[in-house]
Amino acid sequence: MSQGTRTSMPAGTGGVLPDGAPLITRALAGVPRSTWRQALVVALAYYLGAKLGFAFTFQPHPISTLWLPNSLLMAALLLVPERSWWVLLAAALPAHLAAELQSGVPLAMVLGWFASNSSEALIGALCIRRFCSAPLRFDSFRDVGAFLLLGALFAPLVSSFLDAGLVKAIGWGEGDYWQLVWLRVLSNVLAALIVVPFVVTWAADGFAALRGATLRRSAEAAALVLCLLGVGVATFDQPQAASSAIPALLYAPLPLLLWGAVRFGPRGTSTAILVLVLLAIWGATHGEGPFVTGSTEENARSVQFFLIAMSVPVLLLAAALEDRRKDVAAQRRAQLEAKEQRLQLTHLTRVALLGQLSGALAHELNQPLTAILSNAQAAQHFLAADRIDPDELREILGDIVAEDQRAGEVIRRLRAMFKKGETQFQLLDPNNAVREALALAHGDLVMRNIEVSTDFSPRLPDVTADRVQLQQVLLNLVVNAIEAMSDNPPDERTLTVTTRPLDSGGVEVSVADRGPSIPEERQRRLFEPFFTTKPQGLGLGLSISRSIVTAHGGRLWYSNNPYRGATFHVALPHQPGAPL
Amino acid sequence: MSLGGTVFLVDDDPGVLRALTRLLRASGREVRAFASQREFLGQHDPAAPGCLVLDVAMPERNGLDFQRDLATSGDERAVVFITGQGDVSTGVRAMKAGAVDFLTKPFNDGQLLAAVQAAIDRDALMRRTRAERGEVERKLAMLTLRERQVLEHVIAGQLNKHIAADLGTVEKTIKVHRGRIMQKMGAASLVELIRMADLAGVRPAPSPSPGP
Repeated sequence: MSQGTRTSMPAGTGGVLPDGAPLITRALAGVPRSTWRQALVVALAYYLGAKLGFAFTFQPHPISTLWLPNSLLMAALLLVPERSWWVLLAAALPAHLAAELQSGVPLAMVLGWFASNSSEALIGALCIRRFCSAPLRFDSFRDVGAFLLLGALFAPLVSSFLDAGLVKAIGWGEGDYWQLVWLRVLSNVLAALIVVPFVVTWAADGFAALRGATLRRSAEAAALVLCLLGVGVATFDQPQAASSAIPALLYAPLPLLLWGAVRFGPRGTSTAILVLVLLAIWGATHGEGPFVTGSTEENARSVQFFLIAMSVPVLLLAAALEDRRKDVAAQRRAQLEAKEQRLQLTHLTRVALLGQLSGALAHELNQPLTAILSNAQAAQHFLAADRIDPDELREILGDIVAEDQRAGEVIRRLRAMFKKGETQFQLLDPNNAVREALALAHGDLVMRNIEVSTDFSPRLPDVTADRVQLQQVLLNLVVNAIEAMSDNPPDERTLTVTTRPLDSGGVEVSVADRGPSIPEERQRRLFEPFFTTKPQGLGLGLSISRSIVTAHGGRLWYSNNPYRGATFHVALPHQPGAPL
Repeated sequence: MSLGGTVFLVDDDPGVLRALTRLLRASGREVRAFASQREFLGQHDPAAPGCLVLDVAMPERNGLDFQRDLATSGDERAVVFITGQGDVSTGVRAMKAGAVDFLTKPFNDGQLLAAVQAAIDRDALMRRTRAERGEVERKLAMLTLRERQVLEHVIAGQLNKHIAADLGTVEKTIKVHRGRIMQKMGAASLVELIRMADLAGVRPAPSPSPGP
């Protein structure tokens, strides 16, 4: 009973029709096939439910202890779009007639009951639909609360006034009006409590869940059902003397219901409740179990009360647990999203950084391209002049190959930086990472006449880091240093990069410039996101760099140099989590 | 096959330097290659004719600044700039500073060779002019103070009698001075004298105030 194909009813029937026949024909033609299937299932379920209801009826009252058809109909209405409701109601009518007329009920009473039954289903379904924003799935406390009040209490109550009134008017059965109302309310509340959650949770996607279940989970479900049957039979279906001896035995099913609620959610809970209720009612109607001490009517009430009192909290508990599970899932999803966003932002800043270097990168590619072209054209000149010196030609070709590889290397470096990937920690040589970052900045360094002075410690331990992200940090620091020195006179443009091992087993890389020192009012905000002093700056470079270094378990800080300029330091532990 | 003029090539990128050297040699040029400005300055013979092919982006100093310094030191040479990343403003600055051409890498052999040829021609012209100016200046130095005064008036287009009046002497004396000047300067005509004076930067005397 899925929500079915979205086939719309034929649009407005146009002009005035002479009689109703074509209207009905058109309306029927507009009903999708899936709705016919649903109608058939509803009719069958209604019929079987009614037969079962008669089996649970204690004379002399015409009210069954467990009357399922109304609730089955309500569940069916909740599962299909409102425009298909009339089809399901129409399908229930023949089933109702077939079941009731077999039991010798007068036709007027039969039709009256159909009216009260379907009114209960309609009132319940309508109220729930209006109150719940999403389709009712018994997976939130609010929705289950709405169902209990509107579907399981309000709808049975309202329809029971109508029902009892009809019974009295037609004169079928015995008992006074209020007694009839009372009996029917209890019966129908119980039916709604067990049927609607069960049908709705299973019909929504229960069978898919069943197919996708692991072996362990299936075994646990089977164990629960076996325990339920065992405990249910032991509690409700033993001769009276045996069971009433220990009244506390009534609580025996409770742990099993809790097991269902905690481990199997609303679907497991509603199934467990259904099994218990059927066993209890069956026992009670057959004179067995703890509920056969008084008159039939009293027995019926006791068993109904007991089952209602047991079901309501368990259903609410299952929904509350589901709410909590969804909260946890949402929190985890939010965490994942935040992680993903951080990764995206890191990539974005990296791309922006490379964008800043684009002119310099063009320079870096143009150098080998020039060498290749000029070498090749030199060879052409030699060939044209018929002055072919094999040694010279060999050298030219060797140079072309080397220059091509150099261009390829520039592109490889760039591609690695442009790539958007998960963080991958690996053991790497920090000196190498610095060399690569300087190679990426080479064009910019040359174009801005910056002299690079490096002091690499030869005894540097490897560190565990994400190669691309570490290079991003270093490149960012180098580019910042270059920009800081752009107004310096040519002989005051020295960039110094130093690496040194730390006592803890980690390493420290420092990038020193000779630009102006960082004024005090900027120092505090230096690592804040979106803080920038550059007209084209995003203001994310240092903030992202620091978050990368922190994610590596390291530290990023700066100090002003005694003479002029600033030095940025990156300290990385041997591996994330190791002490610095 | 060897064409006149040496190409002085300065580029910090060894691969590019080697390739361009090869290309220029293959097309018959004499090349002297330098990996840095310092190396070039250390070995540069300003007297040797030829042009400079200079990379703009160099770690020591910007090529444009280098050219300016070279020009002010008197060792000026025609320059072809080459750059790995040419932007319009740098190109304009280079051309304004007197560059023969501004080539963006990678360039074709034809572009480079044409630019080099033009630069060598410009260099030869500059050298000729410089030599001629030296010659004229040498001759100018032989003039007496009086002759120099007369020359300034002559190139201002004044008649002898006006010059005489202006200098407080007689027309005949001016005529004598004038003959000496033409002789010392080796000028065959007044036009040639004016051109020489112009080349050496001699300023014409201001026009005399209108007489009564």
